[in-house]
Amino acid sequence: MRQKTLEIYSVELNGTKDIEKTDEGDGKEKKYRGLKNKGPDPKKQHQKEEFKKELDLDDHKLSHKELERKYGTDIVTGLSSSRAAELLVRDGPNALTPPKQTPEIIKFLRQMVGGFSILLWIGAVLCYIAYGILYSNDSSSSLDNVYLGSVLILVVILTGIFAYYQEAKSTNIMSSFSKMIPQQAIVIRDSEKKIIPAEQLVVGDIVEVKGGDQIPADIRVLFSQGCKVDNSCLTGESEPQSRSSEFTHENPLETKNICFYSTTCLEGTVTGMVISTGDRTVIGRIASLALGVGNEKTPIAIEIEHFVHIVAGVAVTIGVIFFIIAVCMQYYIIDAIIFLISIIVANVPEGLLATVTVTLSLTAKRMAKKNCLVKNLEAVETLGSTSIICSDKTGTLTQNRMTVAHLWFDSQIFVADTSEDHSNQAFDQSSQTWASLSKIITLCNRAEFKPGQESVPIMKKVVVGDASETALLKFSEVILGDVMEIRKRNRKVAEIPFNSTNKFQLSIHETEDPSDRRFLMVMKGAPERILEKCSSIMINGQEQPLDAGTAKAFHTAYMELGGLGERVLGFCHLYLPTDKFPETYSFDTDAMNFPTSNLCFVGLLSMIDPPRSTVPDAVTKCRSAGIKVIMVTGDHPITAKAIAKSVGIISANSETVEDIASRLNIAVEQVNKWDAKAAVVTGQELKDMSPEQLDQLLASYPEIVFARTSPQQKLIIVEGCQRQDAVVAVTGDGVNDSPALKKADIGIAMGIAGSDAAKNAADMVLLDDNFASIVTGVEEGRLIFDNLKKTIAYTLTKNIAELCPFLIYIIAGLPLPIGTITLLFIDLGTDIIPSVALAYEKAESDIMNRKPRHKKRDRLVNMPLAVYSYLHIGLMQALGAFLVYFTVYAQQGFLPLALINLRVEWEKDYVNDLEDSYGQEWTRYQRRHLEWAGYTAFFVGILVQQIADLIIRKTRRNSIFQQGLFRNKVIWVGIFSQIVVGLLVCYGLGSVTALSFAVLRAQYWFVAVPHAILIWVYDEGRKLFIRLYPGSWWDKNMYY
Amino acid sequence: MAALQEKKTCAQRMEEFRHYCWNPDTGQMLGRTLSRWVWISLYYVAFYVVMSGLFALCIYVLMSTIDPYTPDYQDQLKSPGVTLRPDVYGEKGLEVSYNVSDNSSWAGLTRTLHAFLAGYSPAAQEDNINCTSERYFFQEGFGAPNHTKFSCKFTADMLRNCSGLVDPDFGFEEGKPCFIIKMNRIVKFLPSNGSAPRVDCAFLVSTDAPPKDVEPLQVEYSPPNGTFSLHYFPYYGKKAQPHYTNPLVAAKFLNVPKNTEVTIVCKIIAEYVTFDNPHDPYEGKVEFKLKIQK
Repeated sequence: MRQKTLEIYSVELNGTKDIEKTDEGDGKEKKYRGLKNKGPDPKKQHQKEEFKKELDLDDHKLSHKELERKYGTDIVTGLSSSRAAELLVRDGPNALTPPKQTPEIIKFLRQMVGGFSILLWIGAVLCYIAYGILYSNDSSSSLDNVYLGSVLILVVILTGIFAYYQEAKSTNIMSSFSKMIPQQAIVIRDSEKKIIPAEQLVVGDIVEVKGGDQIPADIRVLFSQGCKVDNSCLTGESEPQSRSSEFTHENPLETKNICFYSTTCLEGTVTGMVISTGDRTVIGRIASLALGVGNEKTPIAIEIEHFVHIVAGVAVTIGVIFFIIAVCMQYYIIDAIIFLISIIVANVPEGLLATVTVTLSLTAKRMAKKNCLVKNLEAVETLGSTSIICSDKTGTLTQNRMTVAHLWFDSQIFVADTSEDHSNQAFDQSSQTWASLSKIITLCNRAEFKPGQESVPIMKKVVVGDASETALLKFSEVILGDVMEIRKRNRKVAEIPFNSTNKFQLSIHETEDPSDRRFLMVMKGAPERILEKCSSIMINGQEQPLDAGTAKAFHTAYMELGGLGERVLGFCHLYLPTDKFPETYSFDTDAMNFPTSNLCFVGLLSMIDPPRSTVPDAVTKCRSAGIKVIMVTGDHPITAKAIAKSVGIISANSETVEDIASRLNIAVEQVNKWDAKAAVVTGQELKDMSPEQLDQLLASYPEIVFARTSPQQKLIIVEGCQRQDAVVAVTGDGVNDSPALKKADIGIAMGIAGSDAAKNAADMVLLDDNFASIVTGVEEGRLIFDNLKKTIAYTLTKNIAELCPFLIYIIAGLPLPIGTITLLFIDLGTDIIPSVALAYEKAESDIMNRKPRHKKRDRLVNMPLAVYSYLHIGLMQALGAFLVYFTVYAQQGFLPLALINLRVEWEKDYVNDLEDSYGQEWTRYQRRHLEWAGYTAFFVGILVQQIADLIIRKTRRNSIFQQGLFRNKVIWVGIFSQIVVGLLVCYGLGSVTALSFAVLRAQYWFVAVPHAILIWVYDEGRKLFIRLYPGSWWDKNMYY
Repeated sequence: MAALQEKKTCAQRMEEFRHYCWNPDTGQMLGRTLSRWVWISLYYVAFYVVMSGLFALCIYVLMSTIDPYTPDYQDQLKSPGVTLRPDVYGEKGLEVSYNVSDNSSWAGLTRTLHAFLAGYSPAAQEDNINCTSERYFFQEGFGAPNHTKFSCKFTADMLRNCSGLVDPDFGFEEGKPCFIIKMNRIVKFLPSNGSAPRVDCAFLVSTDAPPKDVEPLQVEYSPPNGTFSLHYFPYYGKKAQPHYTNPLVAAKFLNVPKNTEVTIVCKIIAEYVTFDNPHDPYEGKVEFKLKIQK
């Protein structure tokens, strides 16, 4: 684990050099936080070595000739097909190996021995042993034990198959993601350009990539033309990076002449040589490393394990105690073993784990409808216990597109509509300055709509061009109408595209006014650079000299907009005089034979990636639900802070240390750190922090924004949060996010923007990339936790009613009140649908207004739940069921007192004239038949009271009448099914000897009804006192 | 979830457990202080007392609805069971086997019969009346002392040769053993419409083996014809007839082949007694294996 984490950090942060450093000594290791010291694992060591070797990538340093030699290829003619085929065989296809799957049979077997299964297996084996012993003594012994053993095995296998099927089904949901559209690549082979599936690329292939394509493998750039790539999925840098053939940096990750697999070429074209394919690509190695980050157990899995331990502990303890008691009471060992089996079977809620699975998958389905696709069923609940969400900014909190937010002209700031459809542009458009500004915006822009999208709404059209140009294009299209038509009317005669040295973009146009022969030069760029070039400014359509006052106004506006975290552009223009620049004048952009100074400044325009409209609300909800939302972004701190403020991650009235400093006009160091509620931390600062400092930071500020972080630092942040005992949800979309997604308690990948690696590593996929969907998920997750509690309480209750008969049977010697197989009919027959029905129960109180559960303190099955279920309701149920049993026996001739210590005579096969309370004599068969009637009576008794139990479990605090008795219709389906199954079992299976049911008179169904009502009344009383005296002794002991 | 993965050492766990058992800081034992324990115990005591009270009340109500003389239902007792004395059970039901020449092999059997018939001595039957009518002995009221009903006498001497009075060896020694057949009591059960129920014993003819030329079983029944006199019916229950004794029929098998195991079935022939329940081998009949060695 330590080694692997090291590798991730190293590769991402510092490339090869860091690895060498860590090899030098352990002194540096302190730098890596949250890592446990484990002895070096030889396998990992080996992996590390291998990794290091592979990163010794020197292809970027080689010349073209050396490259040709190294890879045995030719830059002009490419590889020969035969050589390519050979290499393909040698290296395998150019695709990432899917993560290793656990073999199906292992998964299946795991289901067979997990949870309670092992107890049931033991029970089954004991049954066969018991039969074996009986058989060796007496070959005619009854087959009851064989039946029971077989039924137990059947139960284990059926529940195992069911759980396996559920798991397989949920895995299938995800497999659809891995099916990608096969990627194509243009490759030169045998001197010919060919289009082949990218999977067939081999090392040494010469490939051509153009704007919009994905880079099909790691390639060394040979020739490029204005090529820019988006490396964000690898490094998290959102800025496009230019690529050329020059070797610019020692580090292969930094140099310009290497393009990485799965990054996207944004514009331009590039020709390059494939230097590695498939899993050997940089991304491939990161993806495979992500798999190494241990997948943690989900909170609900821990809870269920905890619950299984409790129940199994109770079962085994009681079983063993009574085994000893039975032996002490001089029962035969064989009988004692059978008691043991029965006690175990009575205590184990056989159907519960299946119920939990169904419940979870029902919720998963419901969440899928709300755009949360859950990959791992248990993640449903994890989301509910989330206490910290580390959210991306771009795309999750924001709309992921640059949008014009503000304009400044005529010395005034105007607000543009940034909502999703831009429909409501309310600023004043009457000014002449706006006319000029809009012309510049329209003309000085190289972005274009892709053709063939006439019917698509403007905001959804696909644009070729970078983010700001796209924003400007769409902005002008919305306001002015057909931009392409305007551009056509104002023919472009010359153009200088934006570059980072000039920091401006200009173009020269003919004007659309045929009488005006002047050329119009339009320019946009960084505001301060534009202002330098201007000598005048346009106010209300009039050119005025640029004096100190207007310059100051400009600066104020620029700072204000910049302070909002917006990207500000300046716009200016100049009409070139006809005398110097006649119509025939030929403009030369290299020689710059036209003026680029003394222009007329027109206005500023600022853009931002605006927050999604649903986000502020969602953040507020999170806050009231006690969930801390942390923004982790690669973006600039100011932008990050601005967005954080606008969505409420930093609330309106909280300040950072810097804010306080500027307000009080003192140095940052002098500010009392505890006064600040919010903090904006940059990646650089984070790098210098010790784990303790990070812990302190996370603990002391309720509102934190991490800016300029590399996605690898996300992992550090996640680990920091987890050290606070928080359940951390992390959103991410890039490949490099996958370690953090894996590390998080619940990784959330973006469905639209997310890479496959991220989706693979995540537990959940947000289909609409919307933060608000996470909140919906949290709500569902909390609800399911509550409802699981109810389900478990419901199921556990009857265990006592099932267990007591055996205890009484052993101690008081009553004829056996209920058979083991009959119990299974309750556990797996009548109780299944009702317990699933509880999953449909609506939330009791506003679950989004309470703190997330503490994963160590707030257990799914806690002491009050177990005690209340077992010792209160369970006991009442047992009494009710015994009443039915005694009634049946009494009305048939055996009065309650006569039953005590009757067991031995009762069970003797050769006593065929056993006297009852009326002096009647019974044969063994007649007694057995009565015993079955007793089983059925007890069964019916439990069943009737389980209906009451089901109703009381609808709520834990509120009265049933507050919750509404009929609001959850599924409960009534459950009750109905319970009764129908009960009737079928009693009246349909009476003839099957092995099942030990007997037809029961109808009135016995009503004997336990008063007890059922008593249960309801008692529970209403409990809830009433809980509501009346919150925090009291009663509340602490009775609220589960 | 690094924190949850921490593996605690055994010593730590023990320490935690000890701390749980007795926490000196808060004075808590097993998670509660002493006073808390008292409170919770009091609650549980009260709760269980109330619950037991309610249960006792339910049972009381149940008992008050029960007729002390007649059970409410006799769903399982449609037809009486039949038992045999002496009853020796082997692996598959009744199996009687003895050696004529070996006293000790049948001494136990006769002892059982003597013990069984002790209840039919004149002294034991003292409280019962002599009945002579061959009809059902219906009694509407409680004519007998202590608000009970009369029961008819059945004394051992009615079994003549099988009474143990004439022949204390019950014919075992001569290879013609007596077996006593008893029909189970069922309250208010009337076995037939007018004719007395009668015992009929015969060799069991197995259906698969071809019927051999076996001499039919010769039986000497006592009382004569192997009948249960109708005046012993109906039975009014233990409370109404505390001294009631079942009528018996003794069957003395005269021609049991020696040194072979035979299966004998004794059925009760009466209109309302069925003996064809496949599940219950003792309903209306009794089957047993007999092997007499010489």
